[in-house]
Amino acid sequence: MATQHSRAAARLMISPAVVVLLLWMIVPLALTLYFSTLRYNLLMPGANPFVGLENYRYFFTDPAFTTALVNTLLLVGGVLVITVGGGIALALLLDQEMFGQGIVRLLVIAPFFVMPTVSALVWKNMFMDPVNGLFGYIARAFGAQPFEWLTAAPLFSIILIVSWQWLPFATLILLTAIQSLSSEQLEAAEMDGAGFGSKFLWIILPHLARAITVVILIQTIFLLSIFAEILVTTGGGPGVASTNLTYLVYIQSLLQFDVGLGSAGGVVAIVLANIVAIFLMRMIGKNLDA
Amino acid sequence: MGRIVLNGVRKAFGEVEVIPPLDLTIEDGEFVVFVGPSGCGKSTLLRLIAGLEDVTGGEISIDGRDATELPPAKRGLAMVFQSYALYPHMSVRKNIAFPMRMAGLPEGEQKRRIEAAAKALNLTDYLDRRPGQLSGGQRQRVAIGRAIVREPSAFLFDEPLSNLDAALRVGMRMEIGELHKSLATTMVYVTHDQVEAMTMADKIVVLRAGRIEQVGTPLELYRTPHNLFVAGFIGSPTMNLIGGAEAERHGARTIGVRPEHIASGSPDGAPWVGTVGLSEHLGSDTFLYVHGTGLAETVTVRADGEVPLRHGDRVGLTPNPDRIHRFDAEGSRL
Ligand SMILES: Nc1ncnc2c1ncn2[C@@H]1O[C@H](COP(=O)(O)OP(=O)(O)O)[C@@H](O)[C@H]1O
Ligand SMILES: [Mg+2]
Repeated sequence: MATQHSRAAARLMISPAVVVLLLWMIVPLALTLYFSTLRYNLLMPGANPFVGLENYRYFFTDPAFTTALVNTLLLVGGVLVITVGGGIALALLLDQEMFGQGIVRLLVIAPFFVMPTVSALVWKNMFMDPVNGLFGYIARAFGAQPFEWLTAAPLFSIILIVSWQWLPFATLILLTAIQSLSSEQLEAAEMDGAGFGSKFLWIILPHLARAITVVILIQTIFLLSIFAEILVTTGGGPGVASTNLTYLVYIQSLLQFDVGLGSAGGVVAIVLANIVAIFLMRMIGKNLDA
Repeated sequence: MGRIVLNGVRKAFGEVEVIPPLDLTIEDGEFVVFVGPSGCGKSTLLRLIAGLEDVTGGEISIDGRDATELPPAKRGLAMVFQSYALYPHMSVRKNIAFPMRMAGLPEGEQKRRIEAAAKALNLTDYLDRRPGQLSGGQRQRVAIGRAIVREPSAFLFDEPLSNLDAALRVGMRMEIGELHKSLATTMVYVTHDQVEAMTMADKIVVLRAGRIEQVGTPLELYRTPHNLFVAGFIGSPTMNLIGGAEAERHGARTIGVRPEHIASGSPDGAPWVGTVGLSEHLGSDTFLYVHGTGLAETVTVRADGEVPLRHGDRVGLTPNPDRIHRFDAEGSRL
C-alpha cells in the first residue's frame, strides 16, 4: 500500500543516496565540460582564458580524429561479432555432457581474470612477436614468412586480443541462458522434425536473444573505452592506425599536456558513447521488455 | 494406422532399471491410458515409444515397421507435453505451423490445416497471439493443435491436464475424448489420476515400478482387479481392504469390498457393526467413514445421498457377497 505519505517518506529516505550519486557523476562531468572550454596547456602556465568551442574545433579538425572514430567503431563491432559468435558456439559446446566438465568451464572463464595489460603483453610477446612468438614459430615451421601482426594488422591484432578477454564473459552469460531453455521445448521441436540447424535457428537463437542483447550492451560500454591493450601493444600506431578515441584523448591531453583539448575529446567520447547506446537500445532494446 | 507393439522393451538409467522387460500391444484407434503412482515409469515408457529415450533392450514396432532405431520425427507420432512446450517467441499460428514447416508442406496446405485445427479447438481468435498471452487451457489446445496438424498415426499425451485447475480439467478431458472419437487415431495417454484413466480409456495399463500390473478395459479393472495394487488403485473412494479373521472366513489372506458394495442399515443382525466417524454429504451420495468395526481402521461406505446417519451413530454394514474380492498372501486374486 503505497500511500501518498509513505511515498513521500520513501523519497526522503533515498534522497541522500541520490544526491551523492548525482554529485559523483555531475561534478566530474561539469569540470570536464568547463575545462573543455579553456585554453589550458600545462606546458604554458599562466592564465587559462575562456576560448569557447575552439578546443572542439581543434579536436574535430585533427586529421587523426576521423581515423580514431572509425577505429573505435571497428574495434567495438569486431570484438562484438567475435565474442557473440564465439560465445554462442562455446556455450553450445560447454552445454554438452562431457568428461571433466567442471575443469573445462573453469578454463574457459580464466581469461576474464587476467589483467588487460598482462594479457595484451602476453599476446604481444608470446604469440604475435614475429621473432619470439608462437605464431611466428608456427609460420616458420611451415616455411612461411612470419606475419608481423602488430605492424601489418595492428587494429585486427587488438581486436583479437580484446576478443580473447571478453569471450569468457559472453560465453558465461550465453551458457546460463542456454541452460535455462526447457528441454521439453527442444524435445517438442525434435518430434516436430527439426534437425540441429532448425532447432538452433528457431528455438535456441530466439531464446538467447535477450542474453545476446545484454552481452552486446554491457560489452559496448566497456569496449568504447579500450585503452590499456593499445598502450602496451601498438601505442596507437603505426601512425594512428590503431588509435581509438580514448587513446586519442590520451595523446592529446597527456602526451601534449593539453588539458583543454583532452577534455573536449572526453566530451566527444561521451557523446559518441551515448549515440551508440541510444542506437543499440532502439535496435535491440525491445528484446529486453516483454 | 497406429498399431504400436512393444516387445521385451527394457530401460535402465545407468545401473537403475526403471522399466524391466515389458510386452504391450496398442491396437489401432485405441485410447490407451498408462496409469500408476508418480515415479513408476509412465513418462519413461511414453518417451521410449516417442523415441526421446533409447531403449536398453527389446523392440518397438509401429504399424508393423521396426521403429526401435528410428529418430522421433520419423516415427509419425505426435506428443503433447505436460508443460505444453510451446515455442514462446512464436505466435500461435507459427507454433501450429512449425511441424508442417519442418516437413516442408506447401503453404496452402499449411494454411488449410491450421484453420481446420483452430476451428476444431476454438483457437481462431487467438492465432496471432503469443503463448504467453493465453490461459492454461488455451495453451493446452495450442499444443494439441500442433500435434493434430501433423496428422500422426498416434498421439502421445504426458499428463496433459495436470497443470489445469479442476473445472478446466473436466472440460479438457471431454474435449480430448471427443477429439479421439472424431479423429479415430490411436492415443496413448499418461496420467497418475485414476479418474482420468477410468473416464477416458478404452484400455488401461496399470503400472507399478515399471511393471505392468494389469491391462484391461476400465470395467474389467474395476470388476476383477488381478491384485491388491490394482484393487487399491482403481476406484474412488478406494476399496476397503480387510485382513485377519474376517478374510480367513472367506478363505483368503485379504478381502476387498468397494464402498458402493456395502449396504448400511440398522445394527441389529448386520454382519459388521460400527460407529460413523465422518459423513460426507455430496448430495447424490453420502460417504460414511465407519470406525470400530474390528475389521480395519476405517471402513468406507457409499450410501444414499439423503441417508439420515450422523457422526457417532451406530450403523450395521452388509457387504454384497458377490462383490467380495479375495486375495492370497502374495496379493494376487484368488
Ligand atoms: N533421465 C533420467 N535419468 C535417471 N533416472 C531417471 C531419468 N528419467 C527418469 N528417471 C527415473 O525413472 C523413474 C520413472 O520416472 P518417470 O517415468 O518420469 O515416472 P512417472 O512419469 O511415472 O512419474 C523415476 O524413478 C525417475 O527418477
Ligand atoms: Mg511423468
